[in-house]
Amino acid sequence: MNPEPRLAVHGLTVAYGKPPRGRVVIDGLDAQIPAGRFTVIIGPNACGKSTLLRTIARLHKPLAGTVTLDGADVHQIPTRRLARRLAVLPQSPLVPEGVSVTDLVARGRSPHQSWWRQWSPADEKAVARALSLAGVADLAARPVDTLSGGQRQRVWIAMILAQDTDTLLLDEPTTYLDLAHQIEVLDLLRRLNTEDGRTIVAVLHDLNEAARYADEVIAMRDGRVITQGSPDKVITAANVEAVFGLRCAVVACPVTGKPLVIPHITTGEPTHS
Amino acid sequence: MSAPTLRPTGRTLIRVSGASFLLRRRSIAVTMLLLAALAAAVAASLSFGRTFVAFPDVLDTVLGADTGYQVTVNTLRLPRTVLAVVAGAAFGLAGSLIQSVARNPLASPDVIGVTQGAGLAATIALTGGLGIGVLVGSSLAGALLAALLVFAIAGRGGMGANRFVLAGIAVAVALRAVTQMFLISADAIDAQRAQIWIIGTLSGRGWNETAMIAAAITVLLPALLWASSAMNSTALDDDTARGLGVHVTRRRVGLAAIGIALAAVATANVGAIEFVALVAPQVARRLTRTERPPLLTAALTGALLTVVADLLGRNLFATPLPAGVVTAVLGGPYLILLLIRRGAKGTST
Repeated sequence: MNPEPRLAVHGLTVAYGKPPRGRVVIDGLDAQIPAGRFTVIIGPNACGKSTLLRTIARLHKPLAGTVTLDGADVHQIPTRRLARRLAVLPQSPLVPEGVSVTDLVARGRSPHQSWWRQWSPADEKAVARALSLAGVADLAARPVDTLSGGQRQRVWIAMILAQDTDTLLLDEPTTYLDLAHQIEVLDLLRRLNTEDGRTIVAVLHDLNEAARYADEVIAMRDGRVITQGSPDKVITAANVEAVFGLRCAVVACPVTGKPLVIPHITTGEPTHS
Repeated sequence: MSAPTLRPTGRTLIRVSGASFLLRRRSIAVTMLLLAALAAAVAASLSFGRTFVAFPDVLDTVLGADTGYQVTVNTLRLPRTVLAVVAGAAFGLAGSLIQSVARNPLASPDVIGVTQGAGLAATIALTGGLGIGVLVGSSLAGALLAALLVFAIAGRGGMGANRFVLAGIAVAVALRAVTQMFLISADAIDAQRAQIWIIGTLSGRGWNETAMIAAAITVLLPALLWASSAMNSTALDDDTARGLGVHVTRRRVGLAAIGIALAAVATANVGAIEFVALVAPQVARRLTRTERPPLLTAALTGALLTVVADLLGRNLFATPLPAGVVTAVLGGPYLILLLIRRGAKGTST
């Protein structure tokens, strides 16, 4: 059904620390991320989902295995060239002191710039477009450190949009945001996917948000993919118990018709370890 | 509708066919201001001393006229003033580079062991009877060895910004302890000479030292040009910078190496004129209101501070004080101020 994956992961093994003493976080993982879709990676804490995203984005070096972007190994592509094709928003990035929204978003152009081309018409156009797509154009002159969490997150998304890449990777983009701001950010990501045709991969904590927004869900546990597919196929009571160790009912969401996870009431000890 | 022109804040855009350059208006203004202040300080440094020489006479003397002040101006004051400019600039550059790498305003060659490495080597040379001839060479070697040690220790943890500073502090403390052992067991006269060398002074120094530091800056000029653009990304965290295609480790090692080389050469030639490398980048950053210490303005600020310190040390006290003592006296309160203001900021927001 998806003949050409945008990103393909083969036999990926990732560890923190050197081999003999290092802790293996991902062990021989295979996964495919389809082009032009919104893919969400879910799984319990410490299952390796952020590590997977970071390794795909070459922020982390794998011990073994490959990650390919349209067939080319991302760990072999020169990093600046890769930055023109794949953008990543790490979890809670550090806001430089006193920097304005425009200045931060303009940072997204750095893989396209050089010492003799510091601000081309293309830079100007891409930054203006990124500001308006992310809905932060009216904040352009504000210092980033004076913004609310939700605004700030949209500014960071504008920065990676300015990079002008087909593929966007986001590590827990809704963590630390209240529900309204979570929906705002996820709506933005969906718009970027459906209206702008970008391939989006995000790590999310909330299963219901994953079901609501994803075309494709990758469910991980203990450094492996347990199951992958459409939300209807992946988010089932059996899978939630297998992945999270949580007993639940899955019903159709009254708003979207997507799967909605409702945990069972447990009176005794938690069922997962 | 016509879109308003969009560009980074406070910058003027210059486009020449395919090329484009952004100039920070405030940085240009600050640079002009610092150049004027430096010129004034240099003039004062040539005028004031045991004999006062009026500025027109200074100018004539420097330009080669026979004014009777040739010895005072051209032989005594000009060399050490030019040395102050060059050494101060080197310290300012070094501090700016090291603080950018460490992402910490308290990091500087004084803190991360470079100064102490030079100090230990100089102490060994002076108290061990090796003589003045090998002083510069041995202190340069000491500074670079200390830096290598810091790199080796910090490198084991992937050269993270905090590890780099901690490794530097550890090495600095150890080297200072060894230096003190040598000083205590040394002959009193040698120990005092070493002590003055460690504090840093411009007296009795001049063209040779100037030439050596200027040569180092000239050789490193291409690297400094690279650094000034590489430093742009140091305000971002490592992951974000990597995502934008920056070789984070390569950049960090490169910037630190240039900073250490400059600090080592400057320290080997004038001793540790303390706090210049620490203070100059921070003063420059506040003047330009940039997110990181800028190179050119830090160099000018460093030069200005050193010239003024030497001028004050020579003129305000009955016994002339080494420039390093003056900068330490000025730097201590500055450091306290910085800590207090950081603390206030931490609690209020």
